Amino acid sequence: MRSVPTPLAALAVTLALAAPASRAAGVVATVTDAAGRPLADAVVMLEPTGAKLPVKPLAGVEIAQRSRAFQPALTVVTVGTPVSFPNFDTVRHHVYSFSPAKTFELKLYAGVPSTPVVFDKPGAAVLGCNIHDRMSAWVLVVDTPHYARSGTDGRARIDGVSPGSYRLRAWHAGLVPGQEPAPQPLTVGTADLDSRVALPVSAP
Amino acid sequence: MKVQGALRLRASLSARIVLLFLGLLLVVQGLSFMAIRAGIDHNARAAIADELAVGERVLTRVLAQNAQRLTEGATLLAADYGFRAAVNSNDAATIGSVLANHGERIGASVTALLDPEFKLRAAAQPDLQELLPVTRRLAARVLASRHASEIVVIGDRPFQLVMVPMRAPVVVGWVLMGFPIDQRLLDDMHALSSVQVSLQVRSDALSPWHTAVSTLPLATRETLEKQAALALDRAGAASSAATSVSLADNEYSGRCVLLAEHDGAAVSALLLRSVDDAVAPYRQLQLALAGLTLLGVLGFGIGSVLTARHVTTPLRRLAAAAERLRGGDYDTPLRGLGRGDEFGELAQAFERMRVSIGEQQQEILDLAYRDPLTGLPNRLQFRNAVRDAIAAAEAAGRTVSVIMLDLDRFKHVNDVLGYRFGDLLLRRVAERLTLQVLRGNDLVARLGGDEFAVLLADLDPETDLSLTLSVAQRIGQAFDGALTLEDQTVDTSASLGVANWPLHAGDADVLLSRAEVAMYGAKRRTTGPMVYDAALDAASSQTLSLLTELRHAVDHDELRLYLQPKLALGSARVVGAEALVRWQHPRRGLLPPMEFIPFAEQTGFIRVLTLWVFDQAAQLWKRQHESGQRLTLSVNLSTRDLLDLELPQKFEALLIRHAVPAEAFCLEITESAIMDDPQRAQATLDRLSGLGFRLSIDDFGTGYSSLAYLKRLPVDELKIDKSFVLSMEKDLDDARIVRSTIDLAHGLGLTVVAEGVENAQVWDLLRELSCDEAQGYHMGKPMPAAEFSRWATGWTTRHAMSLTPGKGLDIAITLH
Repeated sequence: MRSVPTPLAALAVTLALAAPASRAAGVVATVTDAAGRPLADAVVMLEPTGAKLPVKPLAGVEIAQRSRAFQPALTVVTVGTPVSFPNFDTVRHHVYSFSPAKTFELKLYAGVPSTPVVFDKPGAAVLGCNIHDRMSAWVLVVDTPHYARSGTDGRARIDGVSPGSYRLRAWHAGLVPGQEPAPQPLTVGTADLDSRVALPVSAP
Repeated sequence: MKVQGALRLRASLSARIVLLFLGLLLVVQGLSFMAIRAGIDHNARAAIADELAVGERVLTRVLAQNAQRLTEGATLLAADYGFRAAVNSNDAATIGSVLANHGERIGASVTALLDPEFKLRAAAQPDLQELLPVTRRLAARVLASRHASEIVVIGDRPFQLVMVPMRAPVVVGWVLMGFPIDQRLLDDMHALSSVQVSLQVRSDALSPWHTAVSTLPLATRETLEKQAALALDRAGAASSAATSVSLADNEYSGRCVLLAEHDGAAVSALLLRSVDDAVAPYRQLQLALAGLTLLGVLGFGIGSVLTARHVTTPLRRLAAAAERLRGGDYDTPLRGLGRGDEFGELAQAFERMRVSIGEQQQEILDLAYRDPLTGLPNRLQFRNAVRDAIAAAEAAGRTVSVIMLDLDRFKHVNDVLGYRFGDLLLRRVAERLTLQVLRGNDLVARLGGDEFAVLLADLDPETDLSLTLSVAQRIGQAFDGALTLEDQTVDTSASLGVANWPLHAGDADVLLSRAEVAMYGAKRRTTGPMVYDAALDAASSQTLSLLTELRHAVDHDELRLYLQPKLALGSARVVGAEALVRWQHPRRGLLPPMEFIPFAEQTGFIRVLTLWVFDQAAQLWKRQHESGQRLTLSVNLSTRDLLDLELPQKFEALLIRHAVPAEAFCLEITESAIMDDPQRAQATLDRLSGLGFRLSIDDFGTGYSSLAYLKRLPVDELKIDKSFVLSMEKDLDDARIVRSTIDLAHGLGLTVVAEGVENAQVWDLLRELSCDEAQGYHMGKPMPAAEFSRWATGWTTRHAMSLTPGKGLDIAITLH
């Protein structure tokens, strides 16, 4: 079996790359759900209030279809990242997305489509399979290098944040469109920051 | 009465058996019928309730399936990629046409798309504003269960709405689809459950219920709406309630099922099950049962009638047999003896009883019709035989004669020689009599005592009397003469009377009595057999009323006292008189003693006469005594008097009453009177003698009494019977008897009186024989007492002196 880099691994790479750029601080955001419980798989983003930070598309991102499920169910990519959709099942899939962030469809195919899908706009794209209604996956396209994904404890740590004024946004697949909380303004110094974000979702 | 009893028995027993059987059957059938009916009722109701419950479930199920189908259709639409693409592309025109197209495809009448916030985005129908409240409600539920359905009222019609999410793959909108609940659906449901369904709707709380769709015919719609409205109002908010509805003569049990209610608008299903239809199969069963019951009653009736007959037939036979026994039929055997049951035993017992009673009856008949002493038929059988003979003779133109026969002096034989000898004699007589009867169908019978009779039946009318008389004479001759029995020789003779049918009598009883009359006539005349004569009967019929007349005579002074003088032979003096009674009959004149004395003796009235004579004699003696006469008055006593133990007291009372001495009276008793019952006679005589009366034996020499016996009696006087005296002057034997009697009497110290002195020669002869007193026509006939004094005076003056020369008179009494 081929080793496939996970989004987490990619994130780790990104953070590692960012660290030596300057003296940067770490931001730890604790994400809770509507009931105040730690919320996993939330994505926390820091967007500078000023000029947009440059982002690099990620490379080698795959969303596989295995056992009639997307793997992983949540993929966070930066804008412009091409995502490959290898089908490991014996059945064909018809991957689609009607999301404004990225509308596409990969009509009934097997194996690896010849061209990956490039997610060129920030936003959340929800992927489905027209053959298998139960299959769904999210691709969150972020337009910032500072983002992190919460663990089971609800904590998401963003390192290497240069001091400055930011907006802290959080996203979760369970958010009802239009119900996202307003971004939190956050000023990052040299010291690490703790922040709390409550999302109006109920933990699964 | 027994027949009625038997009928009643039959009627009641049979009827009771039949009634009991039928009654029991009817009770059992009635109970089971009621139980079945109750069961049917219960079952029918339960069945209806079940069917309604099933109906409710089916309805629910059908609606659920409908909703399911709708949901699936909506889901398909929601999942249609093209549709989703169109929705995401926000292509309104495309969206609208997809909705319409899809709605048509699955027959939905409402198809709409809502955005995730449940706002109407697109619809196949132009105006669906009234759906908005519904969508809100559905939205609330669909979030929880991914799809929702609801029954709503839209424009007075019930609809089933479903809402499903459209996912791409997250929810990007909602597909809303609706179907009217129409006739087809209810028909399906009716076909499934046999329950009638009617959907009643109400658009708001104030509107009336009306019928939207129904499986019931349109004709009932109006009634249905009214009744359904009532039922639904009663049911109120209950989700399910029982009810009943009456439509076009058909009763329905029903169930109101509230399908939906929102803000007053409501849809209710009224499930109805026809009670008649539900009960119909049971009605068939009940009819079959009734038929069976009828057959059972019929069968039981026939069976119980047969059983009752089986029981009552032998009872009837027994009753009929008992009735036959009562009627005297002992010869008909009983039927039904062969039965092995209790009736058979009863019949056998009955049969044994019949035989036994028959035998006893025969014995009784023998006793009743046969004289045990002689073995001859008795009076009863003889009478029946005479009756039968007369009947036969009447039919054949023949005649019947009866000879009746009575032994003379049998009583004396019995008295002297004893009853055993008397019985032997009777038997011998019976034998002789039987020998004299030569013809086969003649009958000899003993009528009683010493009376026999012979029936000569089937006689020729020309020769009947002469034949009868010759038979009678033969019999008479057979009895004339001595009969030797056990070394005793008895002189027998018989008196025979003859009577003939139809010459002398019209029937058997008269014939017998006529023969008897003739027999008594023969007895009196002792001239051999006597044929009945009407003259004899006249006398006998006269005697019948004699008793009444005699009583009358005593009470009305018709009796007269007569006196016959008794004279002393030696002095020719009047020494006494025999008191006699005569009857001055108002029509027949003065009756001689023979006309009524025997009768009075026979009936016992003689005792009254005796007392009367004695009373009169006592009065007369008193008067004579007062006028200086000393006469002894003789009074006759009969057998009856002697047997009357109270006679001495009665005489004593009269003596006291008239203050006269007993010594003034001589009581004369005939020999035969004494011999009837010598012991009692002697007792009476002893008492009379004790009172002081003189006693005299009357008619001496005619009876069997011996002087030796007389010696024992307290007798003072002996009266020689006139048969010896009448012609003693010519008959030497008589004269000898008289003389020896006088001598013997004198030897015993008795006074001797001679009766029947009718001429002077006898008078003289008696005087020579030293007879003490004399009585007779030569001196004086019986005369009225009033004339006696005059006669005595005349006698004395005429004869006293001349008749007694030499002897000298004691006293010449002077009479007035």
